[in-house]
Amino acid sequence: MEFAQSLRLILPEEILSIGGLVLLLAAAWLGDKASRAISIASVALLVAAAAVTVPTLSGGAMGPDTQAFLGQFRADAFAAYAKLLIYVSGAAALMIAPRFFEQFRAMRAEYPVLLVFAVLGTGIMVSAGDLMTLYIGLEMNSLAAYVLASFLRVDNRSAEAGLKYFVLGALASGILLYGMSLTYGFTGTTSFAGIHAALTGQLSTGALFGVILVLAGLAFKISAVPFHMWTPDVYEGAPTPVTMFFSTAPKVAAIALTMRVALEAFGNQADAWRQVVVFAALASIVVGALGAIGQSNIKRLLAYSSINNVGFILVGLATATQAGASAMLVYLAIYVMMSIGSFVAVLMLRDAESNQIESIASMAGLSRTRPLLGWCLLVMMLSLAGIPPLFGFWGKLVVFRAAVDADMIALATLAIVGSVISAYYYLMVCKTMFFDEPADQVKGASDWAHWALLLIATLFNSPLGYLLTGWFDNLAGKASAALFLAA
Amino acid sequence: MIGLEHYIVVGTVLFVLGVLGIFLNRKNVIVILMAIELILLAVNINLVAFSSFLHDLTGQIFAMFVLTVAAGEAAIGLAILVIYFRGRGTIAVDSVDRLKG
Amino acid sequence: MHPILIIVFAPLAAAIIGGLGNKALGSTVVKSITTGALFLSCALSWPIFLGFLGESYTPTVVPVLQWVQSGSLSFDWALRVDTLTAVMLVVITTVSALVHLYSWGYMDEDPDQPRFFAYLSLFTFAMLMLVTADNLVQMFFGWEGVGLASYLLIGFWFRKPSANKAAIKAFVVNRVGDLGFMLGIFGTYLVFGTVSIPEILAAAPGMAGSTIGFLGYRVDTMDVLCILLFIGAMGKSAQLGLHTWLPDAMEGPTPVSALIHAATMVTAGVFMVCRLSPMFETAPIALMFVTFIGAATCLFAATVGTTQWDIKRVIAYSTCSQLGYMFFAAGVGAYNAAMFHLFTHAFFKALLFLGAGSVIHAMHHEQDMRYYGGLRKRIPLTFWAMMAGTLAITGVGIYEVGGFAGYHSKDAILEVSWARGTEISHFAFWLGAFAALLTSFYSWRLIFLTFFGKPRWAESEHIQHAVHDAHGHADSEHDNPPAQEDAGHDVAHHVPHSDHGDGTAGYHPHESPLTMLIPLGVLSLGAVFAGYLFNPQFLNSEGFWKGAIFFNENLMHAMHAVPLWVKLTATVVMLIGFGIAWLGYIRDTGMPERAARQLGPVYSFLFNKWYFDELYHFLFVRPAFWLGRKFWKVGDQGIIDRFGPDGAARVVALGSVGNTRVQSGYLTTYALWMLVGVVGAITWVLF
Repeated sequence: MEFAQSLRLILPEEILSIGGLVLLLAAAWLGDKASRAISIASVALLVAAAAVTVPTLSGGAMGPDTQAFLGQFRADAFAAYAKLLIYVSGAAALMIAPRFFEQFRAMRAEYPVLLVFAVLGTGIMVSAGDLMTLYIGLEMNSLAAYVLASFLRVDNRSAEAGLKYFVLGALASGILLYGMSLTYGFTGTTSFAGIHAALTGQLSTGALFGVILVLAGLAFKISAVPFHMWTPDVYEGAPTPVTMFFSTAPKVAAIALTMRVALEAFGNQADAWRQVVVFAALASIVVGALGAIGQSNIKRLLAYSSINNVGFILVGLATATQAGASAMLVYLAIYVMMSIGSFVAVLMLRDAESNQIESIASMAGLSRTRPLLGWCLLVMMLSLAGIPPLFGFWGKLVVFRAAVDADMIALATLAIVGSVISAYYYLMVCKTMFFDEPADQVKGASDWAHWALLLIATLFNSPLGYLLTGWFDNLAGKASAALFLAA
Repeated sequence: MIGLEHYIVVGTVLFVLGVLGIFLNRKNVIVILMAIELILLAVNINLVAFSSFLHDLTGQIFAMFVLTVAAGEAAIGLAILVIYFRGRGTIAVDSVDRLKG
Repeated sequence: MHPILIIVFAPLAAAIIGGLGNKALGSTVVKSITTGALFLSCALSWPIFLGFLGESYTPTVVPVLQWVQSGSLSFDWALRVDTLTAVMLVVITTVSALVHLYSWGYMDEDPDQPRFFAYLSLFTFAMLMLVTADNLVQMFFGWEGVGLASYLLIGFWFRKPSANKAAIKAFVVNRVGDLGFMLGIFGTYLVFGTVSIPEILAAAPGMAGSTIGFLGYRVDTMDVLCILLFIGAMGKSAQLGLHTWLPDAMEGPTPVSALIHAATMVTAGVFMVCRLSPMFETAPIALMFVTFIGAATCLFAATVGTTQWDIKRVIAYSTCSQLGYMFFAAGVGAYNAAMFHLFTHAFFKALLFLGAGSVIHAMHHEQDMRYYGGLRKRIPLTFWAMMAGTLAITGVGIYEVGGFAGYHSKDAILEVSWARGTEISHFAFWLGAFAALLTSFYSWRLIFLTFFGKPRWAESEHIQHAVHDAHGHADSEHDNPPAQEDAGHDVAHHVPHSDHGDGTAGYHPHESPLTMLIPLGVLSLGAVFAGYLFNPQFLNSEGFWKGAIFFNENLMHAMHAVPLWVKLTATVVMLIGFGIAWLGYIRDTGMPERAARQLGPVYSFLFNKWYFDELYHFLFVRPAFWLGRKFWKVGDQGIIDRFGPDGAARVVALGSVGNTRVQSGYLTTYALWMLVGVVGAITWVLF
């Protein structure tokens, strides 16, 4: 494989890295005055990266032609699918940020640059074909994310969120690295294909430690139980646009990466990790649901909700089948839109002094004081609860169907029971918005970008979303085919 | 003769020390940063030992990457700690408990 | 289009329009639509009936649509028109149309008139569906439909707790009967493999004498099926044992009592037995059972009727008793006599109810006959209508000449039960004859208490309210103050004294409006002439029935050949009953109270309706409540809720609290849990 060919395959990453560096210089020279311009330029970068990624997905690229740098980097349909979701999330996080930070006079030119690098890191994660690429992508994303979490310096909670995220993230990457070193030592290689070939038959204890530690490190990133505990704190403390970003792009990347590692590199040892994944899936569903009940802060509630959703996604992983992988990808896409919609709606809750409102009690009677916002949030909540005919139901349905098809009926049943528990807190929010006496606190106006994103997400999650099912099945099918070709 | 096992044992001991350092330590966040460095050191020892044992350069290259990232990580960690200290006036581990539930 | 389609579906359309339109259309529009639809149905029904009467009309089946097609079970929605249907058609549509008209006046002040009229039309549709049924399932549909309408109408004044109770009681007691009916239908399908009535009736004779396993015994197939079906009829027609709902059903508005609980719905059981008469003819034990129950009900209800004070309850027990006549007529094999009595009874009993309604209307909703008296002069038209009804029900007539409606039909039943010549039929004859005496007594008692004697209105609370209201609205010109000093007086066991002035308390009853008097007039004509006019066809003409029921030619001949004393029995007991009533309520008004005191326990036994309600309360209601409470407290709350929803909710709440506690906010805790996760995973996979 020539070097030039490799450079062509990593075109989206080149756009983002070179563009990001240019914007960093621009930010340094132009200062905070240019932050809006730089945000717009960053969105443009993401659009450009997405534009060059689309053909990869629609063409269903897979096989050796998609491998760059001797297989260290994969530019196949699977990576493209995840990257497009990531770029959408990144663009949304860029679009909603200026209005948010300006009310604290905290909008700085570094925000879009950091976000571009975080997106770049997540893009590298999903394209990883080697443990080293994996690590670089992961750290590139994480280092940017630590800074983003503590970006709102006027808010003590933001610094605490950053600190917690950093310490626990570093611990997790330490565990991950240690697992990688063991895996390398016991297989003699760091490439996924090599590990796949080496890990056949009975697993040696050292390799087993390696596999479990690597998966544990990744579980931290996707906030699966019991590696989830940073999530509520960081989601609550981080600035809301950043929280929205955390709940989407890194999560998509970590899940896609976990799929690649588990199904490709450790694909021969599915029996070794399946039980662990099943446990993590059920534990995430239950803990996510239980944790969300009794929350008074909507961001914290959504954090538990994301833990809960990760549980459902892991149900697909536990099947270790291509249908399961395809279902996970469909669920991910719907989950991303639900997250964007609900966090944007939360962002739009502002009182008369333009302060963010985060308590659920303050949302009482929202349907009467701000009907459109109330109805959009209703769609988001019911969609998250997986209540038909909203589109969130489809995601759960495909995952459960994959589990049933893989003869994991007990798992599917327990997951459904969990989804019943989780419906409680979503419905509580709806009840507060629609039936309680109006608290009449939500006043502030929102700009067009917020409304546009919210309405798009609402339409996507409304029953109209079912028009997209054929399209999604097709794309997710291509992506999972690319994943399983290598496995 | 010092063999691979010895390196692995040292690496493991360092790793466990680092992990224990994070959650047995109740005093100071700086100590946690040091514990993290300890974990990364353990990983590097592992990688280099395996690399030498396997006669494969990948491990050593990997170790270089880890070193680089560790440097960046330490810098960012300290930066966040500075922000935190400015806001709260302390870096005691037990003080980091405003967000919970 | 066959007229039967309009006859059946016009009331349904009216009910739907009226029910959905309700307040939007306004009461006058809804009343006009429903009443108009019923008069249309009525106008189309009579030509059919007269066609059968002139023996120029042939039975026909009008298909509506395919209904069920499932395996071997297949039947269509079809309307059957034969003589039996035609008789029911005129009864239902005529009485219903008149009741609709009557309700214009009676319900004039009610705010919910659209709902009332929509229910009435809905009932009529269901009843028509029942009588035109060509298969048992369609009949069951109509059967349940009238049950529903009856429930809704009994509980029409749903703000009155007693009305709600009565509605529920009617519904529940009917459920018991319906269970029998359903089992009968299932069994019939099991045995015959079809639910089509003509096919069943054609196959029934071949099944006679066959046996079937039932509750672990081998029993006669047809007997079991017929008794099960008859249990359904007992519920609907309020026969002894399942009769308890009918008197309570008087809580409904009086027009409802006239239509549903006198003329039509309660006769559905009789109709069903007649419709399936070829089947019952193959079941001798079932027929004995029918005869026995009919005769027993006939006597039982009559005895209770003699002691009641509520004017509507007296008529309700009278209805119950007359239904008993119909059943034992059917039981002895004279289905045509049963149908004839059903036909005449519909007119005079509807008349009596509507007349009673008119009295109640005039007396400001007072229903207790102890507070009536002397109304003959005040509401003369109502009086004469009630007289016509009473003459009809008591069977006044002259031998070989003719008489009022009941004379022809009831006497025919007594004669035929003697003519039948079996032990059970003679038993029925004697009970029926004694019941006829009681019928005469309580009917005249009603007339004498209501229309004769001096006014005794002063102590009625209803009248007092009425007078009070009148005083409150305008300065009254009356000098007589309302008799208040007796308000706390225990009136339950004493005939009130009429020593306060003239006993009227200054109240002036008014004759009812024309909309109420016209139905009374029309029904009076029926009560007077229905028996005389239709006697030959119903009782003697095979050509009239055309195989719609089992027609026993020999029995009819035997009926005409019974001894003269049998023929005169009914007339004689009627006169005796009249005499006793005259003695007790005109001649010596203190006598009834003396008699009641002397008879003591017997009187209480009758007055308390043979303690059936108390017995059922002890036997069924209390155990059912006990069982229900156990299921509720122990089964539902103690087990299902405790380990189900409530338990799950508690576990979830505990889990939530536990999670909050674990999520302590400390970095070290979080790191520890991560380590626990890693160690746990490794341990799990290793071992």
